[in-house]
Formats: sequence, C-alpha cells, structure tokens
Amino acid sequence: MPLSKTFVYISHPRYLEHDTGGGEHPESPERLEEINRRLQTLADPGRIVTQKPAPAARSWIMRIHSEDYLLRFEETALAGLGYFGHPDNQLGYDTYEIALLAAGAGLSGIDLAEQEPAAAIFCGVRPPGHHAEKAMALGFCFLNNIAIAARYWQEKYGRRRLAIIDFDAHHGNGIQAAFEESPEVFYLSIHEHPTFSFPGTGYAEEHGVGSGLGTTMNIPLLPGAGDREVARAFTRRVEPALADFRPEALIIGAGFDGHRLDDMSGLAYSSALYRFLGQRIAALAERHCEGRLITILEGGYHLPSLGESFSEYCSGLRQSS
Amino acid sequence: MFVSNFMSYPVRTVGPDTLVPEARKIMSAASCRHLPVVDESKLLLGIITDRDIRSALPSKVVDQGEMTECLHRFETLPVKRIMTETVTCLTVEATLDDALILFEEHKVGALPVLDADNRIVGILALNDLLKAYKKLFGLGVRGSSLIVVKDNGKPHPLTRLTEILEAREVPFTRLIRTGDNDRDTLIYIRIHTHKLHAIYHALAEAGFETVAPHPISLESPGFLRRE
Repeated sequence: MPLSKTFVYISHPRYLEHDTGGGEHPESPERLEEINRRLQTLADPGRIVTQKPAPAARSWIMRIHSEDYLLRFEETALAGLGYFGHPDNQLGYDTYEIALLAAGAGLSGIDLAEQEPAAAIFCGVRPPGHHAEKAMALGFCFLNNIAIAARYWQEKYGRRRLAIIDFDAHHGNGIQAAFEESPEVFYLSIHEHPTFSFPGTGYAEEHGVGSGLGTTMNIPLLPGAGDREVARAFTRRVEPALADFRPEALIIGAGFDGHRLDDMSGLAYSSALYRFLGQRIAALAERHCEGRLITILEGGYHLPSLGESFSEYCSGLRQSS
Repeated sequence: MFVSNFMSYPVRTVGPDTLVPEARKIMSAASCRHLPVVDESKLLLGIITDRDIRSALPSKVVDQGEMTECLHRFETLPVKRIMTETVTCLTVEATLDDALILFEEHKVGALPVLDADNRIVGILALNDLLKAYKKLFGLGVRGSSLIVVKDNGKPHPLTRLTEILEAREVPFTRLIRTGDNDRDTLIYIRIHTHKLHAIYHALAEAGFETVAPHPISLESPGFLRRE
C-alpha cells in the first residue's frame, strides 16, 4: 500500500468567529469544528501539515468585486446590521476581516501548489464564496474565494488556462458570472437542477458568453440523483471536456451538501462518492496539470456527513498516483 | 398586470403611402418587426411586418431580368398595398392575461394598443409579454427556487402557506394554485432563500406534502456505498 500524499490543510481559527447569528442558520462555526475533528483521524498523520493563511490583499479581491461593494460589505459588518443584502447572509462585526482571511486561503494554497505540486491541498474556510457576485452577497457568501484564487493563479504565476470543478449541491453562479466570457477559465459544475434548487441558475443550456462560449459546463441533476448520476457525468462529460481543454491548474469547489443526509439539497449522494471524486480529481490534476490542484470548501451543513464526506474526499485526493 | 405598464411607446408608425423600402429602413433602425400604419389623426389603418416585406421581395430563384423588374416594382410599392388591414388590438385597460389570450388565439407577433378614440398609444410585442411575465413571476432572479405542494383539502392552504413564508421573512414572487378533477390540486410557490430546508420542514410540520419533480427514488442506495 503506497503512502498517502502529504496533506496540507489551510485554515484559520478566526473562521470560527464569523457569526451567522446562531439559531437555525446552517452555515455555522460547528461545520469547521467538525472538519477539524476529522482532520485528526486522517491516515498517515505524520504527513499532514496545517497552515494559516494571510488575508488576501484588497487588490486581489478587487479583481472580482467592485470597490463600492467592498465598502458596503465592510460598513454593514461594522454597523452590526445583522445581514447583508438578504436575511440569509447573516454576518457579525468581524465578518469582513474574516472574509479577507477566507479569500487568502486560496492564495496561500496556490503559492504552495506551485512549490509542491505533489501535495494534496485543502482550504477549510468560511464564509463560503461561490454564490457571491461582483456586487452582490448571496447564499451565505460574501467574497468569491474561488474566483479570486483563479485570478491570482492566472496573474501571479501565468497559469492562464484554469479549470474550476464545483461539486457543491448548488450552482456557483458567482464563479460562472466572473468567467462566463473568458475562454481561459473553464467552469464545470454538477449541482441540483436550478428549477428546484437555490440559486436558480446553472441550466445545462448555459455554455458561456461571447468568446467564453464553450468554457462553461453545467450538469444539473434532478432531486433524488445520487452516486450513479454523478459518476456518469464525471466520466462522460467532465473528464473528456478537460482532456480537450488541457488546463494548467485545477481549483475545486468542494461542497458536501449533496449528501443524502444533508437537507440543504434534494440530492442523495453517499459519503463514498466523495472518495471517488477525490481520486478522479487528483488523477485529472496529475494527467493535465503536473499535480497543480487546490480545493476550497463551499457548502455542507449536516455535520456528521460533512465530516465523513470530507474524510472520504481527502483520502481520495491522497490515494491517486 | 396592465399592458400599459409593459408596452413600448411612443410607437414608430408609417402612413399608408410610405414606400415599402422606407418602412424596411425604419424597422431595421428601430430593431422592430411590426410597424402600425396610421392616418394623419393616428387612427390605425393596418400593420406591416418584416414578413410582409420579405414576401414582397422577389424570390432569389427568378432570372436576372425578372429580378430587376420585381425590384423596381418593390422600390415604388406603398405599404397600403401589402399591409394587413384587419388588426387585432388591445385597449389601454387590457391586462397581460388578455394579451396572452389574443397572442395565442390569433398567432400574431405584436398587438397595437389603442386609446378610447382608437388612436394608437403603444404596442406590445410577444417578447414584451415574455419579459413582463418573467418580471412578475420573479424568474431569472438570483436565489429563487420553485416549491410545489399538494393541496390536500385542509382549509385555507394559501393563507397558511403565506403565513409560513412571511413569519420567516422569506420573499416570494409567485403563488399559483392549479388543478382539475382528475389530478391533484398543486400549489406552486417561487421563493427566494438559500434556507430551503427550513421551509420544507415548516411545510411538513404544517401538514403540507411537497412534490418532487421526478420519479428518481430518494431511497435508492448509491452504487458506491460500501455498507
């Protein structure tokens, strides 16, 4: 049995301080506490490294978000208004600073992936990001961590051709909006069908816009879809599309809310599906990008299945060689 | 829901003696496919469409001599010769629902809107109707999803539904009850929140049954499941 790859977990204790008001809000600090507990039980503990990120510089955030939006976000947090834009997007006094730290995790992960492409890198962050658009908070998301990371990878390291695979149960409208006109960033998302699921975007007919036509791929699944549908989509759609596109680096939006026990979607994945995804994704990175791959946490709200799915995914990422 | 809120106005019109090539230029410049034809007092005489104009042009399969002659006739053709004189119209008081019925019954692409004196005050194209319903139903708005519940015959289902949503500060844009004697009566609600699960739980607690859109069984085990 070969040794597992080195696993680098990038996270920050301050992520636990992003206050979503307690009560019934599903995007809670306990999510990361559960992942932190699971981290202790991963195989080959001697090859697990934890790292704290620095906050993302405002200049990188502004590659994706408008200055006016950032000002409003900061003011809303500091004013203690409770939520930003919609009652879903609850926030506390520290949320703006913590969101900068969350965006910073992807940048630290990319620096590391450039130095050590053989490592499996997971950014355990909150608040999540993939619903946030240029000037709109949405679905618990304020800054689009993945989109910011993609721009950083392109501009700091010259990796122009990037692929983003998002397997969160919900479509990442913010990532799509950021790159739908770009032929250099391929956004592929497998999610619950938008007619019946938040945020109501991500129809199969959306392929990109203008010169970005062909570098957006949405694979919506009907409620009740499970491992079989995802594996089929991954094998028949995602892998051939990436073989054609030949990305130089991969960013993964890892949401674990498609799990059958997670009632934030009607999807019915098992925990083991996430091991399958981890293996296939690591293999794609080795095949096309010399291993350059980072994963950034998005959703996943049922704590036991979030923890188990995280463990399975990380095991899959570390196994492939 | 009134047509007057969604129609295009002021309307570009032509007179009956305007030449067809001029009408074609006007349509092209205004990116429209329908031009009402009116007299000096704005009374509607007919309507000319891009399709009428295409039909007036010579076919590309005719020989060169015939083509030249046809094009010469086309250059001097007044719109009154090819316009449709029987025009289906709306009044300013009409609703979008009225317009939808007329579009469906008459298979036209645009409906002129007339005031009480039969003067044209606006025009509603089929695409204007689609945009209007999109807006009214909250479609295409980030963060919206459709919930379908069965009306199981318990009293006041719509009141109870709206109370559940409003108590949780969940915006919604469409609430429709449909059904007939042969099928379940269904209620469709388009709501705006990421916390859909909380709404599903509240609906279940209130005795509502939600309807899944597809026969995939929620119980089917994942093929990768190991236990």
